[in-house]
Amino acid sequence: MAFEKIEYKPIPVRELLREMKNLSELMIDLAYSAALFNDRELAEDVLELEKRIDTLAYQLEMVTMIAARDAEDAEALVGVSKVASAADKISDAAADIAAIVIRNIGVHPIVSEIFERVEEHLIKVKVHEESVIVGKTINELDLAPRMGVDIIALYRKNDWIINPKAEEKIQAGDVLIARGTSEGLKELMALCEGKLDKLED
Amino acid sequence: MSRRSQKKFEEIVRRFVELKDTSELMIDLAYSALLLNSRELAEEVARLEERVDELHTEFELQVLSSGFKKEEAKGFLGLVRLGVAAEKIADAAAQIAEVVLRGVEPHPVLKLAIEEAEETITYVHVAENSPLVNKTLKEAKVPEETGMWILAIKRGERCIRPKPDTTIQAGDILIASGYAEGEEDLKRLAAPSQDEFE
Repeated sequence: MAFEKIEYKPIPVRELLREMKNLSELMIDLAYSAALFNDRELAEDVLELEKRIDTLAYQLEMVTMIAARDAEDAEALVGVSKVASAADKISDAAADIAAIVIRNIGVHPIVSEIFERVEEHLIKVKVHEESVIVGKTINELDLAPRMGVDIIALYRKNDWIINPKAEEKIQAGDVLIARGTSEGLKELMALCEGKLDKLED
Repeated sequence: MSRRSQKKFEEIVRRFVELKDTSELMIDLAYSALLLNSRELAEEVARLEERVDELHTEFELQVLSSGFKKEEAKGFLGLVRLGVAAEKIADAAAQIAEVVLRGVEPHPVLKLAIEEAEETITYVHVAENSPLVNKTLKEAKVPEETGMWILAIKRGERCIRPKPDTTIQAGDILIASGYAEGEEDLKRLAAPSQDEFE
Protein backbone atom coordinates (compact mmCIF):
# COMPACT_ATOMS: atom_id res chain seq x y z
CA MET A 1 0.00 0.00 0.00
CA ALA A 2 1.35 3.42 -0.96
CA PHE A 3 1.21 6.15 1.63
CA GLU A 4 1.45 9.79 0.81
CA LYS A 5 4.77 11.19 1.95
CA ILE A 6 4.38 13.56 4.86
CA GLU A 7 5.71 17.05 4.50
CA TYR A 8 4.86 19.98 6.69
CA LYS A 9 2.53 22.46 5.02
CA PRO A 10 1.41 25.66 6.71
CA ILE A 11 -2.33 24.96 6.49
CA PRO A 12 -4.51 26.69 9.12
CA VAL A 13 -5.73 24.34 11.89
CA ARG A 14 -9.22 25.63 11.28
CA GLU A 15 -9.20 24.29 7.73
CA LEU A 16 -7.63 20.97 8.60
CA LEU A 17 -10.07 20.33 11.41
CA ARG A 18 -13.08 21.45 9.39
CA GLU A 19 -12.17 19.09 6.60
CA MET A 20 -11.57 16.21 9.00
CA LYS A 21 -14.91 16.77 10.68
CA ASN A 22 -16.89 17.11 7.46
CA LEU A 23 -15.24 14.21 5.69
CA SER A 24 -15.56 11.87 8.66
CA GLU A 25 -19.28 12.59 8.92
CA LEU A 26 -19.80 12.06 5.20
CA MET A 27 -17.87 8.80 5.47
CA ILE A 28 -20.29 7.39 8.02
CA ASP A 29 -23.23 7.98 5.69
CA LEU A 30 -21.40 6.57 2.69
CA ALA A 31 -20.11 3.56 4.61
CA TYR A 32 -23.47 2.47 5.99
CA SER A 33 -25.03 2.83 2.58
CA ALA A 34 -22.23 0.81 1.04
CA ALA A 35 -22.67 -1.98 3.58
CA LEU A 36 -26.43 -2.12 3.58
CA PHE A 37 -26.85 -1.98 -0.17
CA ASN A 38 -23.67 -3.90 -0.90
CA ASP A 39 -22.24 -1.09 -3.00
CA ARG A 40 -18.59 -1.72 -3.74
CA GLU A 41 -17.98 1.58 -5.45
CA LEU A 42 -19.19 3.55 -2.44
CA ALA A 43 -17.08 1.35 -0.17
CA GLU A 44 -14.00 2.18 -2.26
CA ASP A 45 -14.80 5.88 -1.98
CA VAL A 46 -14.86 5.50 1.78
CA LEU A 47 -11.42 3.88 1.81
CA GLU A 48 -10.05 6.69 -0.36
CA LEU A 49 -11.44 9.25 2.07
CA GLU A 50 -9.90 7.35 4.96
CA LYS A 51 -6.44 7.85 3.46
CA ARG A 52 -7.18 11.53 2.99
CA ILE A 53 -8.18 11.91 6.65
CA ASP A 54 -5.06 10.11 7.79
CA THR A 55 -2.93 12.58 5.88
CA LEU A 56 -4.90 15.49 7.33
CA ALA A 57 -4.38 14.08 10.82
CA TYR A 58 -0.59 14.06 10.30
CA GLN A 59 -0.72 17.65 9.05
CA LEU A 60 -2.84 18.80 11.95
CA GLU A 61 -0.60 17.19 14.49
CA MET A 62 2.45 18.94 13.07
CA VAL A 63 0.69 22.30 12.93
CA THR A 64 -0.46 22.06 16.56
CA MET A 65 3.03 20.99 17.66
CA ILE A 66 4.51 24.10 16.13
CA ALA A 67 1.77 26.32 17.54
CA ALA A 68 2.33 25.28 21.16
CA ARG A 69 5.12 27.36 22.66
CA ASP A 70 4.32 27.10 26.35
CA ALA A 71 2.09 25.36 28.88
CA GLU A 72 -0.76 27.74 28.27
CA ASP A 73 -0.71 27.10 24.51
CA ALA A 74 -0.58 23.38 25.16
CA GLU A 75 -3.65 23.55 27.39
CA ALA A 76 -5.51 25.55 24.77
CA LEU A 77 -4.55 23.19 21.97
CA VAL A 78 -5.04 19.82 23.64
CA GLY A 79 -8.78 20.08 22.98
CA VAL A 80 -8.12 20.60 19.28
CA SER A 81 -5.90 17.59 19.09
CA LYS A 82 -8.42 15.40 20.97
CA VAL A 83 -11.23 16.44 18.64
CA ALA A 84 -9.06 15.75 15.60
CA SER A 85 -8.21 12.32 16.89
CA ALA A 86 -11.92 11.65 17.49
CA ALA A 87 -12.69 12.59 13.87
CA ASP A 88 -9.91 10.24 12.83
CA LYS A 89 -11.46 7.43 14.91
CA ILE A 90 -14.83 8.07 13.29
CA SER A 91 -13.24 7.74 9.88
CA ASP A 92 -11.57 4.50 10.98
CA ALA A 93 -14.94 3.14 12.05
CA ALA A 94 -16.39 4.11 8.67
CA ALA A 95 -13.52 2.33 6.94
CA ASP A 96 -14.23 -0.79 9.05
CA ILE A 97 -17.80 -0.66 7.76
CA ALA A 98 -16.61 -0.28 4.17
CA ALA A 99 -14.30 -3.26 4.66
CA ILE A 100 -17.36 -5.48 5.24
CA VAL A 101 -18.15 -4.90 1.56
CA ILE A 102 -14.60 -4.95 0.23
CA ARG A 103 -13.83 -8.24 1.97
CA ASN A 104 -17.02 -9.81 0.62
CA ILE A 105 -18.51 -10.44 4.04
CA GLY A 106 -21.64 -8.46 3.32
CA VAL A 107 -24.73 -8.22 5.44
CA HIS A 108 -27.67 -10.57 5.28
CA PRO A 109 -30.27 -9.40 2.72
CA ILE A 110 -32.87 -9.37 5.46
CA VAL A 111 -30.88 -6.67 7.24
CA SER A 112 -30.97 -4.45 4.15
CA GLU A 113 -34.65 -5.17 3.71
CA ILE A 114 -35.52 -4.04 7.24
CA PHE A 115 -33.19 -1.09 6.95
CA GLU A 116 -34.86 0.15 3.81
CA ARG A 117 -38.05 0.55 5.77
CA VAL A 118 -36.55 2.63 8.57
CA GLU A 119 -33.69 4.58 7.06
CA GLU A 120 -33.46 7.20 4.39
CA HIS A 121 -31.71 6.18 1.23
CA LEU A 122 -28.57 7.59 -0.25
CA ILE A 123 -27.52 7.71 -3.88
CA LYS A 124 -24.48 8.70 -5.83
CA VAL A 125 -25.24 10.05 -9.28
CA LYS A 126 -23.31 11.83 -11.99
CA VAL A 127 -24.79 14.95 -13.58
CA HIS A 128 -24.88 14.56 -17.37
CA GLU A 129 -24.27 17.49 -19.69
CA GLU A 130 -27.83 17.47 -20.98
CA SER A 131 -29.40 17.50 -17.52
CA VAL A 132 -31.72 20.43 -16.77
CA ILE A 133 -30.12 20.93 -13.38
CA VAL A 134 -26.76 22.01 -14.88
CA GLY A 135 -26.15 25.67 -14.09
CA LYS A 136 -28.84 25.80 -11.41
CA THR A 137 -28.03 26.65 -7.81
CA ILE A 138 -29.01 24.27 -5.05
CA ASN A 139 -31.38 26.94 -3.83
CA GLU A 140 -33.11 27.12 -7.22
CA LEU A 141 -33.50 23.36 -7.35
CA ASP A 142 -35.41 23.50 -4.07
CA LEU A 143 -35.12 19.72 -3.77
CA ALA A 144 -36.19 19.26 -0.17
CA PRO A 145 -39.71 20.72 -0.48
CA ARG A 146 -40.09 19.45 -4.07
CA MET A 147 -39.13 15.83 -3.62
CA GLY A 148 -37.89 15.27 -0.10
CA VAL A 149 -34.24 15.04 -1.13
CA ASP A 150 -31.08 16.73 0.18
CA ILE A 151 -27.73 16.97 -1.57
CA ILE A 152 -25.27 16.21 1.22
CA ALA A 153 -22.09 16.37 -0.81
CA LEU A 154 -20.75 16.72 -4.29
CA TYR A 155 -17.58 15.51 -5.88
CA ARG A 156 -16.05 17.86 -8.42
CA LYS A 157 -12.62 17.69 -10.06
CA ASN A 158 -11.13 15.35 -7.46
CA ASP A 159 -12.44 17.36 -4.55
CA TRP A 160 -15.33 16.96 -2.16
CA ILE A 161 -17.69 19.80 -1.37
CA ILE A 162 -19.57 18.80 1.74
CA ASN A 163 -22.94 20.30 2.70
CA PRO A 164 -22.83 22.52 -0.40
CA LYS A 165 -24.17 26.01 0.14
CA ALA A 166 -27.49 27.22 -1.31
CA GLU A 167 -25.75 29.37 -3.91
CA GLU A 168 -23.54 26.54 -5.20
CA LYS A 169 -24.16 25.96 -8.93
CA ILE A 170 -24.37 22.41 -10.25
CA GLN A 171 -21.90 21.72 -13.05
CA ALA A 172 -21.94 18.99 -15.67
CA GLY A 173 -19.75 16.14 -14.46
CA ASP A 174 -20.45 16.74 -10.76
CA VAL A 175 -21.13 13.61 -8.78
CA LEU A 176 -23.90 14.22 -6.28
CA ILE A 177 -24.44 12.35 -3.04
CA ALA A 178 -28.06 12.81 -2.06
CA ARG A 179 -30.24 11.53 0.71
CA GLY A 180 -33.99 11.24 0.96
CA THR A 181 -37.09 9.26 0.12
CA SER A 182 -36.68 6.55 -2.50
CA GLU A 183 -39.21 8.14 -4.91
CA GLY A 184 -37.49 11.51 -4.57
CA LEU A 185 -34.10 9.97 -5.25
CA LYS A 186 -35.42 8.18 -8.34
CA GLU A 187 -36.65 11.51 -9.63
CA LEU A 188 -33.33 13.21 -8.90
CA MET A 189 -31.48 10.42 -10.66
CA ALA A 190 -33.66 10.81 -13.76
CA LEU A 191 -33.05 14.57 -13.69
CA CYS A 192 -29.28 14.14 -13.38
CA GLU A 193 -29.15 11.64 -16.19
CA GLY A 194 -31.18 13.91 -18.44
CA LYS A 195 -34.06 11.42 -18.64
CA LEU A 196 -36.43 13.87 -17.05
CA ASP A 197 -36.31 17.38 -18.41
CA LYS A 198 -38.66 19.25 -16.15
CA LEU A 199 -38.55 20.14 -12.48
CA GLU A 200 -42.02 19.57 -11.15
CA ASP A 201 -43.57 21.95 -8.66
CA MET B 1 -36.84 -18.53 6.51
CA SER B 2 -39.34 -19.45 9.17
CA ARG B 3 -41.65 -16.88 10.67
CA ARG B 4 -40.04 -17.31 14.03
CA SER B 5 -36.55 -16.58 12.79
CA GLN B 6 -37.84 -13.70 10.69
CA LYS B 7 -39.18 -12.14 13.89
CA LYS B 8 -35.93 -12.77 15.69
CA PHE B 9 -33.96 -11.10 12.90
CA GLU B 10 -36.20 -8.08 12.93
CA GLU B 11 -35.64 -7.73 16.66
CA ILE B 12 -31.85 -7.84 16.20
CA VAL B 13 -31.87 -5.35 13.38
CA ARG B 14 -34.13 -3.00 15.33
CA ARG B 15 -31.63 -3.02 18.16
CA PHE B 16 -28.81 -2.31 15.74
CA VAL B 17 -30.75 0.63 14.27
CA GLU B 18 -31.05 2.09 17.76
CA LEU B 19 -27.32 1.58 18.27
CA LYS B 20 -26.52 3.29 14.99
CA ASP B 21 -28.90 6.20 15.52
CA THR B 22 -27.67 6.79 19.05
CA SER B 23 -24.02 6.84 18.01
CA GLU B 24 -24.74 9.38 15.27
CA LEU B 25 -26.87 11.49 17.59
CA MET B 26 -23.90 11.53 19.96
CA ILE B 27 -21.64 13.03 17.32
CA ASP B 28 -24.11 15.85 16.66
CA LEU B 29 -24.54 16.52 20.37
CA ALA B 30 -20.81 16.31 21.09
CA TYR B 31 -19.90 18.93 18.49
CA SER B 32 -22.70 21.17 19.75
CA ALA B 33 -21.48 20.71 23.32
CA LEU B 34 -18.04 21.79 22.20
CA LEU B 35 -19.28 24.75 20.18
CA LEU B 36 -21.42 26.08 23.00
CA ASN B 37 -19.15 24.87 25.77
CA SER B 38 -22.21 23.17 27.24
CA ARG B 39 -21.53 20.85 30.12
CA GLU B 40 -25.17 19.76 30.13
CA LEU B 41 -24.97 18.51 26.53
CA ALA B 42 -21.60 16.90 27.14
CA GLU B 43 -23.10 15.03 30.08
CA GLU B 44 -25.93 13.87 27.84
CA VAL B 45 -23.31 12.44 25.47
CA ALA B 46 -21.58 10.66 28.34
CA ARG B 47 -24.93 9.15 29.42
CA LEU B 48 -25.63 8.04 25.87
CA GLU B 49 -22.25 6.38 25.70
CA GLU B 50 -23.24 4.16 28.59
CA ARG B 51 -26.53 3.44 26.85
CA VAL B 52 -24.63 2.47 23.69
CA ASP B 53 -22.43 0.08 25.65
CA GLU B 54 -25.53 -1.58 27.08
CA LEU B 55 -27.26 -1.73 23.72
CA HIS B 56 -24.17 -3.13 22.08
CA THR B 57 -23.89 -5.91 24.65
CA GLU B 58 -27.58 -6.78 24.32
CA PHE B 59 -27.22 -6.78 20.55
CA GLU B 60 -24.21 -9.08 20.56
CA LEU B 61 -25.83 -11.47 23.03
CA GLN B 62 -28.91 -11.60 20.89
CA VAL B 63 -26.89 -12.39 17.77
CA LEU B 64 -24.89 -15.07 19.61
CA SER B 65 -27.96 -16.77 21.01
CA SER B 66 -29.81 -16.87 17.71
CA GLY B 67 -28.33 -20.13 16.46
CA PHE B 68 -27.81 -19.11 12.89
CA LYS B 69 -27.32 -21.73 10.25
CA LYS B 70 -23.93 -21.87 8.64
CA GLU B 71 -25.09 -20.22 5.43
CA GLU B 72 -26.62 -17.34 7.37
CA ALA B 73 -23.64 -16.79 9.63
CA LYS B 74 -21.62 -14.69 7.19
CA GLY B 75 -24.43 -12.20 6.67
CA PHE B 76 -24.69 -11.78 10.40
CA LEU B 77 -20.96 -11.42 10.84
CA GLY B 78 -21.39 -8.29 8.72
CA LEU B 79 -24.05 -7.05 11.12
CA VAL B 80 -21.86 -7.80 14.15
CA ARG B 81 -19.06 -5.74 12.61
CA LEU B 82 -21.49 -2.89 11.97
CA GLY B 83 -22.28 -3.01 15.67
CA VAL B 84 -18.60 -2.77 16.57
CA ALA B 85 -18.19 0.21 14.25
CA ALA B 86 -21.21 2.00 15.75
CA GLU B 87 -19.72 1.49 19.19
CA LYS B 88 -16.42 2.95 18.01
CA ILE B 89 -18.23 5.99 16.65
CA ALA B 90 -19.95 6.44 20.00
CA ASP B 91 -16.56 6.30 21.76
CA ALA B 92 -15.20 8.98 19.46
CA ALA B 93 -18.20 11.20 20.23
CA ALA B 94 -17.64 10.65 23.94
CA GLN B 95 -14.00 11.70 23.48
CA ILE B 96 -15.18 15.00 21.97
CA ALA B 97 -17.60 15.56 24.84
CA GLU B 98 -14.87 14.74 27.36
CA VAL B 99 -12.94 17.84 26.26
CA VAL B 100 -15.86 19.89 27.61
CA LEU B 101 -16.27 17.78 30.75
CA ARG B 102 -12.60 18.22 31.61
CA GLY B 103 -13.05 21.96 31.56
CA VAL B 104 -10.71 22.56 28.65
CA GLU B 105 -11.61 26.05 27.46
CA PRO B 106 -12.58 25.44 23.80
CA HIS B 107 -10.01 26.96 21.47
CA PRO B 108 -11.56 29.58 19.13
CA VAL B 109 -10.37 27.49 16.21
CA LEU B 110 -12.88 24.78 17.16
CA LYS B 111 -15.75 27.17 16.69
CA LEU B 112 -14.45 28.16 13.27
CA ALA B 113 -14.02 24.55 12.26
CA ILE B 114 -17.47 23.43 13.34
CA GLU B 115 -19.04 26.13 11.15
CA GLU B 116 -22.47 26.01 12.68
CA ALA B 117 -24.27 29.20 13.50
CA GLU B 118 -25.38 28.09 16.92
CA GLU B 119 -25.46 30.60 19.72
CA THR B 120 -27.54 28.92 22.29
CA ILE B 121 -28.98 25.64 23.33
CA THR B 122 -32.39 25.22 24.82
CA TYR B 123 -34.50 22.47 26.34
CA VAL B 124 -38.24 22.81 25.85
CA HIS B 125 -41.03 20.67 27.16
CA VAL B 126 -43.86 19.89 24.70
CA ALA B 127 -47.21 20.57 26.37
CA GLU B 128 -50.40 18.72 25.50
CA ASN B 129 -51.94 21.80 23.90
CA SER B 130 -48.95 22.41 21.64
CA PRO B 131 -49.67 22.48 17.90
CA LEU B 132 -46.56 20.33 17.54
CA VAL B 133 -48.13 17.27 19.17
CA ASN B 134 -48.63 14.34 16.79
CA LYS B 135 -46.89 16.14 13.97
CA THR B 136 -43.87 14.70 12.21
CA LEU B 137 -40.78 16.90 12.15
CA LYS B 138 -41.34 17.39 8.44
CA GLU B 139 -44.83 18.73 9.13
CA ALA B 140 -43.88 20.72 12.22
CA LYS B 141 -41.41 22.95 10.30
CA VAL B 142 -39.73 24.06 13.51
CA PRO B 143 -36.63 25.58 11.85
CA GLU B 144 -38.79 27.61 9.46
CA GLU B 145 -41.07 28.84 12.26
CA THR B 146 -38.48 29.57 14.92
CA GLY B 147 -35.00 29.43 13.46
CA MET B 148 -34.19 26.70 15.98
CA TRP B 149 -32.79 23.35 14.93
CA ILE B 150 -33.86 20.24 16.85
CA LEU B 151 -30.76 18.30 17.86
CA ALA B 152 -32.46 15.57 19.84
CA ILE B 153 -35.75 14.55 21.39
CA LYS B 154 -35.78 13.25 24.95
CA ARG B 155 -38.65 10.88 25.55
CA GLY B 156 -38.57 9.35 29.01
CA GLU B 157 -35.27 7.52 29.28
CA ARG B 158 -34.65 7.60 25.56
CA CYS B 159 -32.89 10.20 23.53
CA ILE B 160 -34.00 10.09 19.89
CA ARG B 161 -32.17 11.30 16.83
CA PRO B 162 -34.66 13.39 14.88
CA LYS B 163 -35.62 12.21 11.41
CA PRO B 164 -38.14 13.82 9.05
CA ASP B 165 -40.80 11.23 9.92
CA THR B 166 -40.26 11.29 13.70
CA THR B 167 -43.55 12.23 15.41
CA ILE B 168 -43.48 14.72 18.28
CA GLN B 169 -45.41 13.64 21.35
CA ALA B 170 -46.78 15.52 24.35
CA GLY B 171 -44.25 15.26 27.16
CA ASP B 172 -41.23 15.18 24.84
CA ILE B 173 -38.32 17.41 25.66
CA LEU B 174 -36.84 19.03 22.56
CA ILE B 175 -33.16 19.85 22.67
CA ALA B 176 -32.67 22.61 20.14
CA SER B 177 -29.98 25.04 19.12
CA GLY B 178 -29.95 28.25 17.16
CA TYR B 179 -29.92 32.00 17.62
CA ALA B 180 -30.94 33.37 20.98
CA GLU B 181 -34.00 35.15 19.58
CA GLY B 182 -35.55 31.89 18.36
CA GLU B 183 -35.66 30.45 21.85
CA GLU B 184 -38.82 32.30 22.96
CA ASP B 185 -40.60 31.41 19.71
CA LEU B 186 -39.84 27.76 20.22
CA LYS B 187 -40.99 27.85 23.84
CA ARG B 188 -44.25 29.46 22.79
CA LEU B 189 -44.75 26.84 20.07
CA ALA B 190 -44.00 23.93 22.40
CA ALA B 191 -46.02 25.18 25.35
CA PRO B 192 -48.58 27.83 24.40
CA SER B 193 -50.07 29.59 27.42
CA GLN B 194 -53.85 29.21 27.70
CA ASP B 195 -54.83 32.69 26.57
CA GLU B 196 -52.65 32.43 23.49
CA PHE B 197 -54.14 29.12 22.59
CA GLU B 198 -57.06 29.38 20.26
